[in-house]
Amino acid sequence: MPTVTVHRDDVEKLLGQPFDADVFESLLELVKGELDDVDAATGEIRVELNDTNRPDLWCVEGICRQLRIHREQRPRDYAFFDATAPEALDMREIRIDPTVNEVRPYIGACIARGVVVDDKLLAQLIQTQEKICDVFGRKRKSIAIGIYAADKLQFPLHYRGVPPSEGAFVPLGMNEPLTLEQIATMHPKGQQYAPIVARHGLWPLLLDDAGTVLSFPPVINSTTVGEVREGDSELFLEVTGTDLRMVTLVVNILAANMADRGASIEPVRSVYPEATPFGRQVVTPRHLKRTMSVPCHAFFRALGETVSGADLQRELSAYGYRVENTADSVRVVVPPYRDDILHPVDVIEDFAISRGYEQFSPEMPSEFTVGGLLPLENLSDRVRDLMVGMGYQEVLSNILVGREELTDHMELHGAALVSVSNVMTASYSVLRNAVLPSLLKVEQQSGRAFYPHSLFEVGEVARMQADSPMGSETRTQMAVLLAHAEANFSELASRLEMLCFYLGISYQLEPVDHASYIPGRAGRIVVNRDAIGIIGELSPEVLENWKITVPCAAFELDLSALI
Amino acid sequence: MNRPGAETLVASLHPLEVAVIQALSRIREASDTELAEAAGLDAARRDMACGWLVEKGVVEIIGESVAHRVSLTEIGTRYARMGTPETRIVQALRAGRAITMASLEQDLEMEQSEAGTAVGALKKAAVVTAGSGGVLEIVPGADLSAFETVAALISHVATAGEVGLEGLPDTQRQALDGLHRKRGKAKGVFRVDEQRTRTYALTPLGQEVGTLTRDRSGAAEIGQLTSQMLADGSWKDKDFRRYNIALKPPRVTMGRKHPYRAYLDNVKAKMVGMGFRQMTSSLVQNEFWNNDALFMPQFHPARDIHDAYFVSEPKHSKPISEPFFSAVAKVHADGGDTGSTGWNYRFREMQSRRLVLRSQGTADSAHKLAEGPDVPGKYFSIARCFRYDQVDATHAPDFFQVEGIVLGEGIHFRTLLGLLKLFARELARAEQVKFVPAYFPFTEPSVEIHARHPKLGWIELGGAGLFRPEVTRPLGVTTPVIAWGLGLDRMAMVALNIHDIRDLFSSDLDLIRTTRGVAGTSGGA
Repeated sequence: MPTVTVHRDDVEKLLGQPFDADVFESLLELVKGELDDVDAATGEIRVELNDTNRPDLWCVEGICRQLRIHREQRPRDYAFFDATAPEALDMREIRIDPTVNEVRPYIGACIARGVVVDDKLLAQLIQTQEKICDVFGRKRKSIAIGIYAADKLQFPLHYRGVPPSEGAFVPLGMNEPLTLEQIATMHPKGQQYAPIVARHGLWPLLLDDAGTVLSFPPVINSTTVGEVREGDSELFLEVTGTDLRMVTLVVNILAANMADRGASIEPVRSVYPEATPFGRQVVTPRHLKRTMSVPCHAFFRALGETVSGADLQRELSAYGYRVENTADSVRVVVPPYRDDILHPVDVIEDFAISRGYEQFSPEMPSEFTVGGLLPLENLSDRVRDLMVGMGYQEVLSNILVGREELTDHMELHGAALVSVSNVMTASYSVLRNAVLPSLLKVEQQSGRAFYPHSLFEVGEVARMQADSPMGSETRTQMAVLLAHAEANFSELASRLEMLCFYLGISYQLEPVDHASYIPGRAGRIVVNRDAIGIIGELSPEVLENWKITVPCAAFELDLSALI
Repeated sequence: MNRPGAETLVASLHPLEVAVIQALSRIREASDTELAEAAGLDAARRDMACGWLVEKGVVEIIGESVAHRVSLTEIGTRYARMGTPETRIVQALRAGRAITMASLEQDLEMEQSEAGTAVGALKKAAVVTAGSGGVLEIVPGADLSAFETVAALISHVATAGEVGLEGLPDTQRQALDGLHRKRGKAKGVFRVDEQRTRTYALTPLGQEVGTLTRDRSGAAEIGQLTSQMLADGSWKDKDFRRYNIALKPPRVTMGRKHPYRAYLDNVKAKMVGMGFRQMTSSLVQNEFWNNDALFMPQFHPARDIHDAYFVSEPKHSKPISEPFFSAVAKVHADGGDTGSTGWNYRFREMQSRRLVLRSQGTADSAHKLAEGPDVPGKYFSIARCFRYDQVDATHAPDFFQVEGIVLGEGIHFRTLLGLLKLFARELARAEQVKFVPAYFPFTEPSVEIHARHPKLGWIELGGAGLFRPEVTRPLGVTTPVIAWGLGLDRMAMVALNIHDIRDLFSSDLDLIRTTRGVAGTSGGA
């Protein structure tokens, strides 16, 4: 979830009212934002935005736009959307070559005039660029943004693919020209972002009409024209990507942001080699004009109360929609800086937010249902009660553990385990396949706690199971560990005997050789001819592996098998 | 304090006390071990009896010396094996490795807090500096002696198992000062245990009592009533020795549920009481049930390799059963028959079948929807979940999520709010609640509930919403469904007076045995 740092003065200017932290915090509910921090000294405010579908809100302009619309109770007008016919003669142009078709086919742009860039605006521009590219643009895979001083560029621009060994220019942060290939290997941004285009034969390059390179999207801008400085007042904002709709939306957001700061927006025409879903010539910013019709009864069904046409008109307008009422439904046009309305329920939620959740009175669900636990949970609880009654302390362990705890430490080598492929730390790399190692870990770390140690745990384990849909099976098992100076088989066996007596299970013990236990002192617990557990005295090797210095007797029983 | 006279005292002496008094009458003064031997008692009984007698003014402690024994904690044992973080950083730097503060966790597998403290100490001692880009550099000729002292002490203690503090050289004793574990607090490297030696003697009152004790005939007084006495009636002409019942009894170990499990048992009971049935699914899920069925697009940022644990073998599940697979794939692609536009992308089957460790309890709800749940119906699960996070005081390797669903024809936003209010009252004893708009990929409208807890003030209790039609319809459910999830970790930690989430799953038996629920916070037994 994106967190942005904005400035109090900026908020006041864009919101058109004095800043008050408490008021601002409660207003942030309108944008699903949380106030993380206000630095009274510097005026910096940190806001976390929770809606991962609304990139328009990941900047101060977008937050304030939504809040201001709500205060003014009507959508914001932006005259520049669709103001120009695609064929207009004097429009600036980007000519797209078929050579980018494979690698990164779409580009959209606009020019913003009349706002002088200072250090604060520059910081906000960079932050917006980063948040949109990282989260919405999936680390520039689907969206990358470039910002330039427009007066240095000679239009029309050309967007084309070139072989990686060509296209040399001086990238930001370097002093000499490098080919695209060299940028990919030598430049830190190249190392980070060139993998996005690496598998293609031709890499994208944006040049002006004089042949000056603007940038190598989505990797790096050029030093010559690709850097915005304080004092610039004519900005060229460009967006490249793999999806035309996303590219257009991001241009719209950037244009609305600059317009909110007082800039005048000049559209730019992208001329494609062949028709796109928006035609061959696409002028941006471009209203996506997503519309949605929502029947009034859908509001009733979702919200549990009747809402009037006037309510709908008022609250939806106050959230930025253009609204047309009909007798039994409402038709909304989604504002140009949003494209997150997939279903009528999204409009219904915006209505509820606009009206305020506190305006809805909670109603207790009244339908009668019978509660209950799963049979396995009931069995587990009975087992836990019985073990506690026998004086045993319950333990609760993490179940993502280190491999050697389940294998080498138990003298069980090469067991098949459910393993994690993207391991972060070796100590948390496999799911446990038995509970007993968790108890031995407790014993290992508790040599100083007074004895006897009578421990048990009931919990989940994962067992590899080739024919199961998920390749493994989750089972609930119990383990019991008895550790003290004279702990032995018979003391623990009588606990097993009592447990099974009260659970009403008849079992046999069959001698077994098991690497974790002392030979001749271990038995399989057999119920209905199935071996569902094991009991015995742990072998000195196992105790040594765990660095345990008192004798231990233990048993493990598969409770899932008893259901 | 008004002490009873010798006569009264003698009447209420415990046999253990008599043994101590008689021993001290014989040998005048005695150390702990001498006294235990002379009185024929073990250490625990001797301490118990001496404790009582000192309180009664019969015995006095005429000398006391304290010795300290130093041993390694769990962390210390690890340092003995791997080296301290400081020496490991210095060694790595000497070996020419490029290390930054940020890469320490990865490169040397250190916890963030551990790495931070170590680098801080090294900087303070002017052993390392941070160069450009935060790369750590060794200061040539730096004085490492302080860190070497600690390392030497660790290995000395590791070899000996336990050493006397008083026998250590001054430098090592100073080094130890900042590093030993303070009881119940942050984890230190060393553990220092006190060993007290005392010398006891009878007070003047005690000597008087001693004389009286010798004079009295033991036969006249009953200590322990026996079956024999009851059978033969011999108790009838005797007195019962009077006990000092105000003495604090020794503690015993007992069988007990784990405090966090007991807390969750309480949650379970509340859920059943509110009419919820339990549901469950497996620890290993495919992405279909973990994400796709919840209408999280396959390109969603939270599905990144950095957010979930992927399973290495097998990598994929068996094919996903129909009609669910086709219906979910379609709803992602174009919304299917739900009235949604869908996400407009190519849905990939193999990604859907990729196996992960369950990252959210909502996966259990998705399975339940597909199973054909009761309508009306209420379900809950307490699901073990996994997230790809560095383990630290706020992140456990695995943790519990309490989640569930409510189905019914009459379900809507206001009943959702009503349900959350009920949860706040039942689980946090909060009458005051606040509903805040929220975002979850699978619900719309979505809401977060904040509740005013009697002890904690305003807390975030959980998130909820009405499942999107894109979630319910492909799984065959046409009634409205509330989905809810509660964040109980923080409440549990407060109830159990625990400050590190890892302690909820601790392997330290002392900690488990001494963790109690705090009264009035729904804590466990």
